[in-house]
Amino acid sequence: MNALPHPVLNVVGVSKSFGALKVLSDISFQVGKGETVCVLGPSGSGKSTLLRCINWLEKPDAGHVYLNGEPVGVTSAGVVMNDHRLSQIRTRIGMVFQHFALWPHLTVLQNLIEAPLQVQRRPKAEIHEEALALLAKVGLEDKRDAFPARLSGGQKQRVGIARALAMRPDLLLFDEPTSALDPELVGEVLVVMRDLAHEGMTMVIVTHEMAFAREAATRVLFLDRGRMVETGTPDQFFSRPATERARQFLQRYAAEAVTAQR
Amino acid sequence: MTPGDIAAFAQGAVVTVALSVAGILIGLPVGLGLALIRWGKVPVIGRLVALYVSILRATPLVTLLLLLFFALPNVGVPIDPYSAAILALSMNTSAFNCEIWRAALLAFPKDQLEAAMSVGMSAGLRFRRIVLPQIARASLPALVNEMSLLIKVTPVLAVVGVVDITRAAVRIGAETYEPLPPFLVAIALYAPIIFGLVSLQRFIERRHAAAEAA
Amino acid sequence: MIHDFGIVWNERGLLMSGLANTALLSVIAAVVSLLLGAALAPAMMSRRRAVAGAARAFVDAMRCVPFLLFAYIVYYGLPSLGINFDNWSAGLAALMLYNTAYMAEILRGAWAAMPREPIEAGTAFGFSGVRLFRRIILPGLVLSAGPVVGNQLIQIIKDSAFLTIIALPELTHAASSIQSRYYVPFAAFITAVALYWGLCLVVEGGVNVLRRLADARR
Repeated sequence: MNALPHPVLNVVGVSKSFGALKVLSDISFQVGKGETVCVLGPSGSGKSTLLRCINWLEKPDAGHVYLNGEPVGVTSAGVVMNDHRLSQIRTRIGMVFQHFALWPHLTVLQNLIEAPLQVQRRPKAEIHEEALALLAKVGLEDKRDAFPARLSGGQKQRVGIARALAMRPDLLLFDEPTSALDPELVGEVLVVMRDLAHEGMTMVIVTHEMAFAREAATRVLFLDRGRMVETGTPDQFFSRPATERARQFLQRYAAEAVTAQR
Repeated sequence: MTPGDIAAFAQGAVVTVALSVAGILIGLPVGLGLALIRWGKVPVIGRLVALYVSILRATPLVTLLLLLFFALPNVGVPIDPYSAAILALSMNTSAFNCEIWRAALLAFPKDQLEAAMSVGMSAGLRFRRIVLPQIARASLPALVNEMSLLIKVTPVLAVVGVVDITRAAVRIGAETYEPLPPFLVAIALYAPIIFGLVSLQRFIERRHAAAEAA
Repeated sequence: MIHDFGIVWNERGLLMSGLANTALLSVIAAVVSLLLGAALAPAMMSRRRAVAGAARAFVDAMRCVPFLLFAYIVYYGLPSLGINFDNWSAGLAALMLYNTAYMAEILRGAWAAMPREPIEAGTAFGFSGVRLFRRIILPGLVLSAGPVVGNQLIQIIKDSAFLTIIALPELTHAASSIQSRYYVPFAAFITAVALYWGLCLVVEGGVNVLRRLADARR
């Protein structure tokens, strides 16, 4: 696609190996404001690793990542950032984890308040109000004083999304947000994500939920064995896939998607 | 080291091992008995056992030993150092064993007992054939750990005159004015025994983990 | 018998000072060995084989040596190498060094059992360094390792009684001296046992508070 003038996220030539295994090869893409980009691909294609390279939870071996023009992880001079600077940038990238990763010693409300208070150092009253509003938005205001261990998987993930939103991030990353959920709990999380997409949140979502991707994404990235094989609008990708690998992938998942819908 | 010293250490080692074994052999079944009393929710005695166990687990062995060795003769029960040692060791370890057995009993699946009752097994038979083998297996690592802890407290028996490894080392050190070498020999005697028990415990734990995974 | 307890009551000053010494010794040893253990635990998990090997060897060694023997070596044995300790320093040093190994093992186990994802989430949300440790890692460690550390404190209190043998004026020593002066063995030692039990109940009370906090979050 054409280069965007002011992309929220700009990933340039990112590569990553674990030992002898090359997990990502020269991945480049951009995400504009308000876009919802779904990263699809078979298991082991490097999707999660790519996501984790964006906020430098994994250190890319090569390439650059830019958030609103600012480099992430490595300065433009090529120097690896110190912890403090990296932390500051990370506060502008929200992340939702496959296994929720809520902080077990804190209540739901405290989970939302913790990072804005301790890292962003925003005023407590403001954070508190916003946190309550976010909990209402995801439908969990009555669980504010519960501990995460008492929640269902779907509830935990909705708290995870609210917690990420509490940081007022420029970009939201989702790492297979529904993969660890029982099937009947997946829907409540996807509803929240779809609403966020419609509200104009800039999101990059690694997922296996094809129906969701087809409906909510503005663009789809297809990864296979560490390479970006194909990219396009959901319509293009799902109806008229350009590459053979994409076709094979869709055939396999189309069958699963049809049975799941029943 | 003179041959006399070696003989002294050998004798001390025999005493240490003998007293430890006696303490272990008495403490295991007594601990089980105490645990069963508590598990069976026997009215008054159950509470007394709980109190006894709580106090004994909080009492240092040396204090218990001195209490038994000096107080018993005072109330008309004569006691020699070795008997006092075995008594103190047994009381101490039985309290810890009681808690170990009790944990296994509490974790025992009730439905197995119900199944045994429904086929008409008597209480004694139920215990011997169903409960005991399983709780013994489950408690084994903790019981072996407790054995290693028991051996580690035996040096204090010297304080009432028992001539064990530590006493031998202290005596030789006092005679030769070189305390360090006999202490090192003492370590060389204790450590393998304790290490053997610790290794046994780890081995059992690994076997259990493998069995669970299978 | 009542008369015996009357004598013990008269000597309560000595017993109380013995109790205070026991408590002081135990708490200082527990705190210092916990801090040293917190430094040793990462060494045990170090990727440098020499460092990890040395740390684990120390922990295994302390696990296989009886504490009283170790105290004897510190007090009687080290002078022959030129290091002289009075009985207080020897007792405290022995307690601290010995239990550093146990605390390190406890902390290592607690750390290994901690789930990694919430910590990673902390990093992703901008926590790092001391803040990450204090707000995200430490609370979890305290709740999971707290009860075990509490049990180790009880063990330290009991080990401190061994130091009566190097004439350290702790509780058992106080009871012993009352016993030998007035021939009231039962009254003196039963009182000491009751006081140890009291100390233990206090520690267990604290442990139970931690257990309840942890259970609410499990």
